[in-house]
Amino acid sequence: MTFAERMLRIDRRIIFLVIGLCTLVPLLFPVGLPIKISSEVRGVYDYIEGLPEGSVFLLSLDFDPASKPELYPQAIAILRHAFKKNLRVVAMTLWVSGTGLADQILTQTAKEAGKENGRDYVFLGWSPGGSAVILNMGQDLYNAFPADYGGKATKGLPVLAGVQNLRDVTYAVSLGAGNPGVEAWYVFGKDKYKFELGGGCTGVIAPGLYPLLRSGQINGLIGGLRGAAEYETLIGQKGKAVAGMDAQSATHLAIIVLVAICNIFYFSLRRQQRRQDGIGS
Amino acid sequence: MIFLRRQLPLLITMITGLVMAAQYYVPHPASEQLLTTVTKWLQIIGGFALVLGITSLFHVHASKIRRKEAGWAYSLVLYVGMLGTIIVGLWNNGKESLDGALTSFGWVYSYTLVPLQGTMFAILAFFIASAAYRSFRARSREAAVLLVAAVVVMMGRVPLGEYILPLSGDLSSWILNVLNASVRRAILIGVSLGAVALSFKIIFGVERSYLGGGKE
Amino acid sequence: MLHRLLILAVVICLPALLPPMTAAQTMPQRLRVIDTPSDGGGSLTVLWAPSATDSPTAQYQILVHEGGLPQDPTAWKVVAEFPANTRYVREGKSAWWTRSGDPNDHLFLIKNGKGLEVKSGQLYAVTVASVSGRERLIAPPIVASAEPNWMNWNQVNNLVLALMFGMIVFYAINLAKRKDIFLRRIPGLDAVDEAIGRATELGKPVLYMTGAHDMNDPSTIAAAVILGRVAKKAASYETELLVPHREPITMAVCQEITKQAYMEAGKPDLFKDDANFFITSDQFSYTAAVDGIMLRRKPAANFFMGSYFAESLLLTETGASTGAIQIAGTDSDHQLPFFVTTCDYTLIGEELYAASAYLSKEPIQIGTLRGQDLGKAFILSVIGIGTLLATAAVLTGNGWAQPLLDLFKDLK
Repeated sequence: MTFAERMLRIDRRIIFLVIGLCTLVPLLFPVGLPIKISSEVRGVYDYIEGLPEGSVFLLSLDFDPASKPELYPQAIAILRHAFKKNLRVVAMTLWVSGTGLADQILTQTAKEAGKENGRDYVFLGWSPGGSAVILNMGQDLYNAFPADYGGKATKGLPVLAGVQNLRDVTYAVSLGAGNPGVEAWYVFGKDKYKFELGGGCTGVIAPGLYPLLRSGQINGLIGGLRGAAEYETLIGQKGKAVAGMDAQSATHLAIIVLVAICNIFYFSLRRQQRRQDGIGS
Repeated sequence: MIFLRRQLPLLITMITGLVMAAQYYVPHPASEQLLTTVTKWLQIIGGFALVLGITSLFHVHASKIRRKEAGWAYSLVLYVGMLGTIIVGLWNNGKESLDGALTSFGWVYSYTLVPLQGTMFAILAFFIASAAYRSFRARSREAAVLLVAAVVVMMGRVPLGEYILPLSGDLSSWILNVLNASVRRAILIGVSLGAVALSFKIIFGVERSYLGGGKE
Repeated sequence: MLHRLLILAVVICLPALLPPMTAAQTMPQRLRVIDTPSDGGGSLTVLWAPSATDSPTAQYQILVHEGGLPQDPTAWKVVAEFPANTRYVREGKSAWWTRSGDPNDHLFLIKNGKGLEVKSGQLYAVTVASVSGRERLIAPPIVASAEPNWMNWNQVNNLVLALMFGMIVFYAINLAKRKDIFLRRIPGLDAVDEAIGRATELGKPVLYMTGAHDMNDPSTIAAAVILGRVAKKAASYETELLVPHREPITMAVCQEITKQAYMEAGKPDLFKDDANFFITSDQFSYTAAVDGIMLRRKPAANFFMGSYFAESLLLTETGASTGAIQIAGTDSDHQLPFFVTTCDYTLIGEELYAASAYLSKEPIQIGTLRGQDLGKAFILSVIGIGTLLATAAVLTGNGWAQPLLDLFKDLK
């Protein structure tokens, strides 16, 4: 077997080791390169920035622990922004396995911002049905969530004063890792009940949401860890996302180098084979 | 028997399908109420269906344990894990935390489910690299174009890439906003038409394979 | 003489030197208050004619009183106030065929909001006041009530096009029953037999997955239909079939389909109930379990049909490491790159729906495909012609094509 053939059939574990090092080393020794802000992320940021104090902001944390690395920093950054603007935050989740994580995120950021449960924010928790929950909330929020996650009756909560259903929500953002997620919130929520909608998602599904962004169905899109890093930069509070960008940079570069090496060996092997075929004939 | 297995389900499908299709065009509150009721029923039926699934799961692993097939110990672990989580979850009323303190259910969630799911998702990074190394070869002109686009977007989406090649940021944004969005729209239109056609066939009983059974 | 010329000049120039005289404020004319059409109730539409005095400095106020005309003039509630040169019918979001009033008339929708709840069946007195400085002129009020409607006429274009598409599909199915319709080759489907044959030769099982969604989803239905063909082939070759599921209902349906396939292949005794088994609904738990099956049982052929999410690469990469031949078919466009790089064949988007037609060669399936193609051709034509018309309208400054374009605008 020639060197080129050996390199093309290299053990996967060597590649895994390279990726592992590219992820670990920048986390231990961060560089901190500047992050350019995209118009997609700015769309969400500018809208929240423009909301008057006391506006009702609905945040649906539609992800489970598997998507934590990308969507957790997005959730933290958006909540910090919302609390800084003194918006009334109504949080919920459509994914049962994400309930504990969503509760933890909200409690942590609310405590940081000195916000009170029931007065400044509420966590509605999870209700079965996926998109059916959105429809229910569109009719009557208190029917869909008669009690919050802590068991307190939602009717009468100061944070929900004047809110009967989704039509009374000023802005909603869905941080989605799949289905139900941003698309479900548009189809069953914004399209029927006419509130403004923004989206956040994992990097892999972000390209699929660009048609919604381009047509104005969502007014902004925070895509993956890069989107979270951009949002952290905008609010001036750098966190896990910005820290993770160095690792992501190194990993992307490693993959590009690996692909380049693979192609060099591929073409070299092809040239060798052509030469041999030429000699043979 | 044939009526119960074939004609009745087809009739139910047709009536429900036509009613729910018409519901979309009717803004009256009665129509919205119908939608809410039907979706609630969907949730209830889904709950019963879970019983079906869990029964199947128990049955498969019970026979593995009984016959002491290869890997039967893992079936035992599954039993212990499933029953343990159900008991702990019911004991804590499904709550992961109470007054800021972690419940035992919350402990199971935070110290087993969260790290395990995170691990599985993290494996993707390694698999993407090995898959890219194995298959991102410029075998043809189209593959070469794909390769160049992939490299540009990978560079443009990270700060280091934009630092090395400043144009990659704008170029990757153009690829995503223009090329990618238009192609996604095309796929979406095709898939949506396929879904509408399939729905028509199911509603009018032309497509019956979902019922199981053979042709009449 | 000079003195007289000076006086004449001042008299001539005086109007230009004086501040412009504002036209006298007029009361809103042709006021109409109607139930907002094509909605579920809880909304009233207010229309009135534009005025020559409409300007950014003048204001219109919408005044409402619940329960008919008030006895006390101070009981009127101001629900909105806006500049007089805003809010026209032509700016509204409703379709042109449902618009009430002249495009240049003013329009305001009274809906539930702060301080006002519009209930269906309840009478409301509504009027419009034009305000300019300290002057306020109020139009004679009109009493109306909101009612829920049984048809949303704004979506009639959607209904007509959906029905048209349905008719095209059924016409194409009838056509397919009478004559042969050409289907282009789909390499992934040609490889199905090869994959099952390979599994038979190696004495290894075939692994088939139906995706992440439940039976509501067309991709899962398509996957279940293809399972029938694959199961029939596996039965005739006497190859073991493994179908792990994420959804219990899908599992039940696929069990029936597999059983029927074995009966049609003449091998009912080979059918195993456990061939279709439920693992879990959780994404990564399912993935871990299937990866374990792949590494232990080492199936020779893996089929990934249906909708997938992040688990797609974990499944296919593990399958590739075992040396299995892999065929994927999905409408999840975000997972396509992963399937394309790791599978031997990938069916993209509608090719998955076409697969059942391709494998069975049934006229119904083939006719549906032809109907879909005709639908796509129609959409392509509309996009092409619409782009030309819209461009021509912008270049000529003529809006004659706008109603035609609006027919296809905002189709949902």
